[in-house]
Amino acid sequence: MTAPAGYVGATASITADDVPALYEGAKFYSPAVGDAGRSSVSAWLAGLLERNGPVPLLRVESVAPDTPCVSVCVLGSGSAMADLPPAGDEFVAAVRQIERLQRVRFGAIYPLAAATISALVAVVTAAQLRVPLLDADGMGRTFALIHHTAMHLAGVSPTPLVAVGPTGESVLVEVPSGPRADRLLRGNVDTVGGWAALAAYPTDAGTLRRAALPGTVSRIANVGRLLLDRPDPDVLVTRLGAITGCRRVARGRITELEHLSRPSDVTIPAHPSSLVVEEIDGLTRQLRIELRSEIVAVFADGALIAGAPDLMCLLDVSRGALATLDSLEPGDLVDVLVTPADAVWYSPEGMEMVGLASHGIPLAHPRRR
Amino acid sequence: MPAHAEDVAHIGVTLRPGRAYAAVVHGDTVVPVEPVAPARADADGVIAAAVATATRVAGGADAVTVDIAPLLLDTLLRPDGGIPPVAVVRIVPRAATDPELARSPAEAVERAIARRFTVAGGHDLLGNELCPLDRSALASLCAELPGTGIRHVAVVAAGSQARPAHEREVADAILAAVPGARVSVASDYGGQGLVAREATVVLDCALTPLTERVLDRCERTLARLPGDVVLRVARGDGGYSTPSRIRVTPVVAFGATDALELCGAAHLAVLADCRVLLPREGRRLAGEVRHRLAVVRPAEPVGLGTELVVPTAVLTPEPEERPGGLPPRAADVPAIRPDADRYLLACVGAAISRPASWLDEVAFIESAAELDRVRRDAEERATAMVMANGAAPGTTHIAEISTVAVPYSPSGTIRVRVRVAGAPDVRLAGG
Repeated sequence: MTAPAGYVGATASITADDVPALYEGAKFYSPAVGDAGRSSVSAWLAGLLERNGPVPLLRVESVAPDTPCVSVCVLGSGSAMADLPPAGDEFVAAVRQIERLQRVRFGAIYPLAAATISALVAVVTAAQLRVPLLDADGMGRTFALIHHTAMHLAGVSPTPLVAVGPTGESVLVEVPSGPRADRLLRGNVDTVGGWAALAAYPTDAGTLRRAALPGTVSRIANVGRLLLDRPDPDVLVTRLGAITGCRRVARGRITELEHLSRPSDVTIPAHPSSLVVEEIDGLTRQLRIELRSEIVAVFADGALIAGAPDLMCLLDVSRGALATLDSLEPGDLVDVLVTPADAVWYSPEGMEMVGLASHGIPLAHPRRR
Repeated sequence: MPAHAEDVAHIGVTLRPGRAYAAVVHGDTVVPVEPVAPARADADGVIAAAVATATRVAGGADAVTVDIAPLLLDTLLRPDGGIPPVAVVRIVPRAATDPELARSPAEAVERAIARRFTVAGGHDLLGNELCPLDRSALASLCAELPGTGIRHVAVVAAGSQARPAHEREVADAILAAVPGARVSVASDYGGQGLVAREATVVLDCALTPLTERVLDRCERTLARLPGDVVLRVARGDGGYSTPSRIRVTPVVAFGATDALELCGAAHLAVLADCRVLLPREGRRLAGEVRHRLAVVRPAEPVGLGTELVVPTAVLTPEPEERPGGLPPRAADVPAIRPDADRYLLACVGAAISRPASWLDEVAFIESAAELDRVRRDAEERATAMVMANGAAPGTTHIAEISTVAVPYSPSGTIRVRVRVAGAPDVRLAGG
């Protein structure tokens, strides 16, 4: 297998020392939620890794093909999770419920999305269950719905799946179609407090060799280490570019935040909003950045220059740190960074599922022109 | 007749564990106050020397703004700091099953906590009840608490920013069980994150006795001095509040020094907008000033180990020099490296500070009209708060407002943050 561009080496195991880098790297791949729960989640994971020992991080190819595996993630809002932190047993409870149903014992955990808090809770779950973590995931970033995965595109069913809320209440979903599963879950997630621990896509390692995106956990650790160094923003972008392919498309100040700026599709969380950024150098363009739970498109003087499934994020130039979408303010000086997503998302099936049209922007993707 | 603000001097004081520092600001003139032996360099001596200097320079001062943050931090971080034991009541649907989730990630915060209780209850971010309040557990708590001797209680409930009913019921029950207890409730501060909200109210309780002692002493000192100089207290966001407000919300004064230093540096450089590179232990920390106000966020104050929901200045390590070959960093505001002593910067920042308020909460909207209503409501409440903090009628303005959609939440969920500043109400001073 050919190593992905910018490959800087996988991590053999995850220790407590790796937690800050994992957190920062996970934020790069989904800069949606700020740091209101950072210290608590980091302390939780670091404590587990100190008590239970490091979690082995394995390439999918190195695991026996018949090893039962299951993915976990946080379903719902990171803000809700910060305000109603886990009791600590939710993820294991979700996994155990599927084990009882399928009469299996999972031999490895993998993140549904190696990004945001979801990347960390996969390590938490592996540490609690004392099983390895796979260096692979289903999104390579975060998308809004649970069937927006490489596994779904490869024909792997997300069900049976279990969501356990911070209230201790749980929901088991068994449906033939992935999109139905998400719709069934959303109402339940709101009822149990705005977030839930999800265990889904039970399968085996052999299937994941063809269906999951490889190397995405060690990638966030590598990106996180760069971010923690806090070099000069221009140096940081150059270094990030070397291992992620990201590039800066503009630097400017946020001048306006708008809400309900596009027609809303209520099946996707968070209403559409927009950001206006005035470029301070170069062409002094006016940028319009379209948001949902993630950035979905960037226009410069009216022309589309980046769009989903590209990963778009903002770097707070003054702080040398990622700007999270729940804490943006007019006046902030930001670099607009665009990173190509994993190749599967630019396929016709991938574009149909998570491309611009799925956000109500029926324009040709800039990478296809 | 009330004095005009520009006719009189303003005094800024920063109180450090070892000694106090002060500066007198009169228009563009800044006079550092150096008590001459045998005058004392403690709070009393320095405030007296500053008032005398103001009389000499400008015929008098209208107010003394004190930065008590260094004393608060020192007390909190010293194991023998003499802070009172605090009990914490968490109101959540279920108690934590992991020891790390049951405690604060900050050692300094955890050290202040003598006893923890969990009572089942709480709401979600939009105020929907997740679990009825466990009144049986509350009764047990109220039976046990008086025997512990603890008189400072911090109460935090999930979702209390949206619906404080459970928090208030618990606080009322504790006050009935322990008359005279100092109870701090998280819904008074808004903000996001149970752990950050809990740390905020724990500090609020823990810092109360010291805050009262320090402010009593400052007020006694000013009462002995000629003139009618009022006392103000610097806030973490670089604004100020009245002593009576800080006595009930002492955590608001926590971490003020960084914001004051930023504003002091900008004032000395005669800049309204700039990036300030403050010297710290052999390196530079960068912060920003916009429209003469320090850029602040609810964040983790340096050295604390957890986030708080009261905003403080955002300081980040300035990277080393840029590698050769890179063009100068694109920027639209000047960067300054203040030469002045950091104590002087803090004193100047305190002297020129303005009354301020901050509000951070979650709301739900379904239309543009509803968004306007939510924003107006938040602005009005923040304006009322800044008036209570000492702003003159008619001088308040919205310094910052941002409303952002909360990612991965139900469509229509927004986070609203408002910062309001005003001009000092000089009628409060005799001049």
